[in-house]
Amino acid sequence: MSDIAVSVDHVTKSFRMYHERNQSLKSAIMRRRRAVYEDFLALKDVSFDVPAGSTFGLIGSNGSGKSTLLKCLANIYHPNQGSITHFGKIAAMLEVGSGFHHELSGRENIFLNGSILGMSRKEVTRKFDEIVSFSGVEQFIDQPVKNYSSGMYVRLGFAVAINVEPDILVVDEVLAVGDQEFQDKCYQKFRDFKAAGRTVILVSHSMETVQSMCDHAAWLSHGEVKAVGTAEPTIKSYIDSLHHDAD
Amino acid sequence: MKYLNEVWSSRELLFNLVSREVRGKYKRTIFGQLWSLVNPLALMLIYTFVFGLIFRSNPPPGNPSGLDVFPLWLLCGLLPWTFFSAVVSTSAGSLIANAGLIQKVSFSRIVLPLSTVGSSAYNWAFEMAVLLIAISIAGGFVLPWIPLLIVAMVLLAVFAAGIGLLFSIFTVYFRDTQYLLGILLQFWIYLTPIIYPISLVSNESAKHGGLLGTPVTLLGIYDLNPMVHFVDIFRALVYDNRWPDPVEWLICLIWALAALGLGMLVFRKNERNLAEAL
Repeated sequence: MSDIAVSVDHVTKSFRMYHERNQSLKSAIMRRRRAVYEDFLALKDVSFDVPAGSTFGLIGSNGSGKSTLLKCLANIYHPNQGSITHFGKIAAMLEVGSGFHHELSGRENIFLNGSILGMSRKEVTRKFDEIVSFSGVEQFIDQPVKNYSSGMYVRLGFAVAINVEPDILVVDEVLAVGDQEFQDKCYQKFRDFKAAGRTVILVSHSMETVQSMCDHAAWLSHGEVKAVGTAEPTIKSYIDSLHHDAD
Repeated sequence: MKYLNEVWSSRELLFNLVSREVRGKYKRTIFGQLWSLVNPLALMLIYTFVFGLIFRSNPPPGNPSGLDVFPLWLLCGLLPWTFFSAVVSTSAGSLIANAGLIQKVSFSRIVLPLSTVGSSAYNWAFEMAVLLIAISIAGGFVLPWIPLLIVAMVLLAVFAAGIGLLFSIFTVYFRDTQYLLGILLQFWIYLTPIIYPISLVSNESAKHGGLLGTPVTLLGIYDLNPMVHFVDIFRALVYDNRWPDPVEWLICLIWALAALGLGMLVFRKNERNLAEAL
């Protein structure tokens, strides 16, 4: 199974949509009944394999279940049915800079954020210089991050996350930030990743990005997989469906 | 066991979160760490004035230490209590405060409430050190009791961690918990012999005998409060400078392990759904 990085096997994920919810003690005691809800299926029986060493794009319109799937892959949500198996260390970048403490310096935050993402202190120390130079905030590394510009903040967060060096990297549309130069740097980093035989799974609304980065893709629509396979035909059928809808 | 392993492997993260709390807390204040002493000192002044001077709740002098200083006697019970109550109330809110993190990053969630134990313990250790110095100046001989004191502090921290874990989960599902908890802690401090000596309770209990014709006494019910036993141990070690009753040690150990066991069990059961429930 070494040629498969992640295997998504009949994954179903539902959320409860509460009509009346007992979120306070008063309502729980006074109404004396269970909350009223119905299930909303965000993912319906989704199955596909992500080949190892590929860059895999998840595409689809808003509300198609991409983010839910991503969170399942990132081990944040747990599927109601089915399973996700991954071969190798997996790391997710759904938001950069989560867990930064505003009063602490960039340096302290690198260590903090690194350990939240699962790096040991030794690893962070080893990669510290690389992280700092990648983020381009050398001058301000001992300043509290609350004084950073939003671009610097995100760049630092991204630099930490990318240096986790997992076998499989799951990325949400975090790349829509930073200036052109930084974006180019990020894409270059992903290419290096691929060259090193690692797998990247990414969600994007930008078909250009997907087209230029990904070799495989899956198209989700209303929680179901419409198409999966090599990138070009998948993207094409997605775009065709959009035009079809528009007609 | 597998779960304990997972928690153990996150110890470095736990340490980093604790130091985030500790270092971030008093940033940009002039007095810094000294602020952590202000709150117990203010409480000490109030209680000494009201209960030491006005109500005259004369605690017995320390035996064999011979100490007879109300504020010191008070602090021996008050400092463990303020630690306990700080842990329980901050860990109750810890999951909600870090909702963003929980929804975006996968890590062992239990470190969030546990880190509040660490940061409160840091402050508490600082406060206890000051108390020990004050007691030594007043004539107590605490040095040989420090190792046992540390054991007692660990036991209380374990107990507080367990209760904190329980409340952290309750608060996610019932947001009222955080407000209810404030009231609960107020009742709890007055039901613990912190600002009055336990002899007042046992005298009253002896007067009434068994309640409603049962062998259950007032003191028997009062003793169900685990904090009664923790405070007893701290007073014996720090104020009286003597061996606490081994039975008290046993009771505290059982409460601590039971609280932690239950807390971890409940936490583990609900951990996976946290990202959705928040």
